[in-house]
Amino acid sequence: MDGQGQDSTGNKKVTLNPRDVFLCPDCDLVIPKVAIEPGEKLCCCRCGCVLDAPVENGAEKTMALSLTGLLLFVPAIFLPLLTLDILGLESTGSIYASVKSLLVSGFVFTGFAVLLTSIVIPFLKLMLLCVISAQVCMHRGSRITVAMFRLYNRLDEWGMLEVYMIGILVTIVKLFHMASITYDTGFFCFIGLLAATLLSSSMLDENYYWNVIHEACQKSTQSQTAAETLVPVPSDVVEERT
Amino acid sequence: MKGDAPRKTLLTGMDAGLFLCHECHYVVKAGDEAENLKCPRCHSAIHPRIPNSLAHSWAFVITSLVLLFPANMLPIMAVEYMGSSECSTIMDGIIYFFKEGSYGIGTVILVASVLVPVFKIVGIIMILVSIHFRIESWLRHKTLMFRFIEFIGRWSMLDIFVIALLTALVNFGFLSTIVAAPAAPFFCGVVVSTMLAAEFLDTRLIWDAAR
Ligand SMILES: [Zn+2]
Ligand SMILES: [Zn+2]
Repeated sequence: MDGQGQDSTGNKKVTLNPRDVFLCPDCDLVIPKVAIEPGEKLCCCRCGCVLDAPVENGAEKTMALSLTGLLLFVPAIFLPLLTLDILGLESTGSIYASVKSLLVSGFVFTGFAVLLTSIVIPFLKLMLLCVISAQVCMHRGSRITVAMFRLYNRLDEWGMLEVYMIGILVTIVKLFHMASITYDTGFFCFIGLLAATLLSSSMLDENYYWNVIHEACQKSTQSQTAAETLVPVPSDVVEERT
Repeated sequence: MKGDAPRKTLLTGMDAGLFLCHECHYVVKAGDEAENLKCPRCHSAIHPRIPNSLAHSWAFVITSLVLLFPANMLPIMAVEYMGSSECSTIMDGIIYFFKEGSYGIGTVILVASVLVPVFKIVGIIMILVSIHFRIESWLRHKTLMFRFIEFIGRWSMLDIFVIALLTALVNFGFLSTIVAAPAAPFFCGVVVSTMLAAEFLDTRLIWDAAR
């Protein structure tokens, strides 16, 4: 598994093992893999992209935080966030109600955009992260885990709870002069949900997750092929996989 | 600036015959069958660079530029108060806050819903043009700017969330109600298409100019 470099000048042959290096996703620079301690970060020397950021017991922490988020999810979304009081008239609003009122007033595209970015995707993200982390904790993995982790990475930037939080604050300032505002249970649950979501994704050590899932997949396919064919796997096939 | 000077000595994945899986960042050796290379770890197709990156990015950035006009010119919110209805555009809302004296919140909305979308579109166009003309300077700065654009992309949804919450909260029947107005879907479209433009843009193309 050696990469023979086709150097443009032709006078330098580079031999590299793909397992010994990182490739910078932002500038394609080859960076030798160095073991770093949890809490440290390996950055690309050319563009500063973070290549590796191990977290101690990352899978356990991520699982605990995403579970916390899931528990807070339903109250944070469905319970009223704020109560407005204008001249004795009261009105409450939750995140679910904000989506509903947009959809009811005929703004289907806007309503769906808010529904996806503030309810569906944050929920899916927490759910996927919880299941994946549990599997990584047990050093298990299958093609389904791989598909789930790919989906998680795709959805990552489309969950916008923190933007919604600032939206709530802006709304409070907007209505501050006209009405008296009381904070309801949903508001505090939402802060908890936001904290759990942000912390769980910051504790996520992607490289470690992928390595564990990959190893588990290899183990299961190897034992499967061995059981099915009852023929030892040829050594070159094994090497191709590693 | 450190990266710009000694570029001849730096080895890129292209030179070394190594490809990166864009989904899981697995490094694979470039084989003979480079067209349909599959990642052994996540089973996604591996390409040396994101295919049609520039075409997709241009398409989305032009879409967002077109949508930007109705998003800013049409009213985004209508306040009905005692039977009379008053529409306001994004700029009206910002001017209202500055007149009221709440400069902090006015600045937040000004930055999030006017400056950020414009900066995103201009920034992505600048990067795309510089890739087309293979401009070799400011490589690191362009990458940092792109990373910043990626980071701020989602924050323009702020105004939409505020309006969504206001329509749910301010619902007092005849006395006062707030409803969304025609600019809202256009504004959503701007946010989504700029985010997609950034997602399709492959920053490694910026650095390819220096090879
Ligand atoms: Zn880099
Ligand atoms: Zn992959």
